[in-house]
Amino acid sequence: MRFFGGIALLTAALWLTLPTAARAQMEFSLDEVDEEESKPAKKQESQGDLIEELAAGDDTVDNAPVEPAPQREEFAEEIYAVQQIYALRLKRLELAPSAAFTLNDPYLKRYGLGFAMNYWFTNVLALGVNFNWYDWGTNPLTRGTDIVPRVQDQFRLGVPINDWQFGLWANFTYVPFYGKFKVRKKIFQWDAYLIGGVGLMRTQPIPVFDPEVRTFGWETNVAFNVGAGLRIFLTRYLTFFTEFRAYMWPDKFENTRVDPGDRQDSSTWLQSGSTFVANTSIQIGLTLFLPIKFEYRLPK
Amino acid sequence: MMLPGRQTLLRFSLVAALALSFVMAEGFRGDNTVSAQDVQVSGPLAGAPSVMNQRLWRDMRLHVEPFFAFTIADEYSRSLIVGGELRFHFLDWLGIGGWGGYSVATLDTNLTKEIRDKGVTTNANRLDLPSRENYPEQVGRLNWWSGVELHFVPFRGKLAMFQKVFVDADIDVFVGAAFVGVEERADAVGQPAPGAVTFCEIAGNPVDTGCLESQTTRSKRTAIAPSFGIAFNAFFKEFVGIALRWRGIPFKYNTSGTDNNGDGQINSDDRLRQFNNMFSVGVIFTLPPKIKTTH
Repeated sequence: MRFFGGIALLTAALWLTLPTAARAQMEFSLDEVDEEESKPAKKQESQGDLIEELAAGDDTVDNAPVEPAPQREEFAEEIYAVQQIYALRLKRLELAPSAAFTLNDPYLKRYGLGFAMNYWFTNVLALGVNFNWYDWGTNPLTRGTDIVPRVQDQFRLGVPINDWQFGLWANFTYVPFYGKFKVRKKIFQWDAYLIGGVGLMRTQPIPVFDPEVRTFGWETNVAFNVGAGLRIFLTRYLTFFTEFRAYMWPDKFENTRVDPGDRQDSSTWLQSGSTFVANTSIQIGLTLFLPIKFEYRLPK
Repeated sequence: MMLPGRQTLLRFSLVAALALSFVMAEGFRGDNTVSAQDVQVSGPLAGAPSVMNQRLWRDMRLHVEPFFAFTIADEYSRSLIVGGELRFHFLDWLGIGGWGGYSVATLDTNLTKEIRDKGVTTNANRLDLPSRENYPEQVGRLNWWSGVELHFVPFRGKLAMFQKVFVDADIDVFVGAAFVGVEERADAVGQPAPGAVTFCEIAGNPVDTGCLESQTTRSKRTAIAPSFGIAFNAFFKEFVGIALRWRGIPFKYNTSGTDNNGDGQINSDDRLRQFNNMFSVGVIFTLPPKIKTTH
């Protein structure tokens, strides 16, 4: 009980003193300064123990003999002006067209066009979707690197390859880092973000081992992605961004074995298990924040 | 003939482009130039430098940076590198430095493992793959690295992490020359004829049956190549920082240890251009530890 009584007393004291303290911090008028300096300071006998002061009650202060207090030393109070954040993301919609380049596929060059939409429900957290299109209507083997024929000729080894149609993901974006940098007389604001989500990836095996018989259709795979990006604000609503994304999914590839006696059996055309695919790519694009204009909660 | 999916995508792209044009036009109506935040200060600070009391992290200071690195986008073998870098900056935005590292481990790529497990050897490709089991022994490897580089620091600023930690940061762009210790399969000539090889002729063994000795015989050389890259640096204390660095070093070498030009022999003509690049994480220690600031 004594403990709770102490807490109640402390709470009441803070409730009474805080508004005064807040006013003292927020007002910087000359009158107040003069008033402060003209008043003699009260004797302070305690060593900062608030509980002790409260337990002692008001009598000790009121009834104590008033002695001339030492004058406060003159000091210059430092006031820090905090600059407003250049561009707020809060409650804005972000539209982001981009181009995607796959980094780690040694067999095919893959290019994608992407589009993302994010809604920022805090200034650092967004929920959104992104879409990448990879199927440009051409034979994917024409985009093969020179390593594919080398592997076939030099090692007598076929390489099962899948083509991609598109990917669609729902993502969370978080901005843990932000800052600014100077180029000559311009100051650019930037932020770095982490992104991750779940979605789907449409892929299709390219028949390589028995192309006369085997044909494949597009299949939908559950996919995940994680990434990190950098966004540079060109204006308060237009940014340039680049991001590293790793799109991952379990994929089915063409069976490298052909049964000469039963080539037509489509159930033997795919490998029995799935192969984990991690497509690491760089995406480069622009983002547009809507609405274009926004208002700060507090005045400048 | 255009595929239906492509037509749909083109329609979507057209609509999206029109919508984007409209929004952009609307946005630019009031402010018809794209620009970053201008330093427009009025009052007592008018004419003052854009940054006061700027900390000079590099000006006339020595940076010592031990790092760990790994190569990326390799075809047959990756390198894990431990090394160090030493830089001296004459100005806060200009410096010169040297770096070196040793490949403490190499990792075979999945392609190398696939060849080891599933590759097929015949007389037609015996020079390229004498035996699949020993294939990892024939691929090219990069054993040590060094170089000298000129460093420019065009961008600097500060960043907040989790809205709690505030640090100075800069971008370091560098260019120079690199010296790399390359280990490749030694020269060999397939006999009796290209495409029908039963043995190899190598130094010290004119009749290497099945080319098996040739597969594991190595030669070493130093490759000289241009190097360039970019680094992000963040400074936490007056004398400690962290560097995330990407470095590219393009040069030719025989990555697969095979007869790439099909002339029936393994030699320097089989080297292929590789865009070797690595990513490194380093810790920066600066000397003297005391930092200077501008007015």
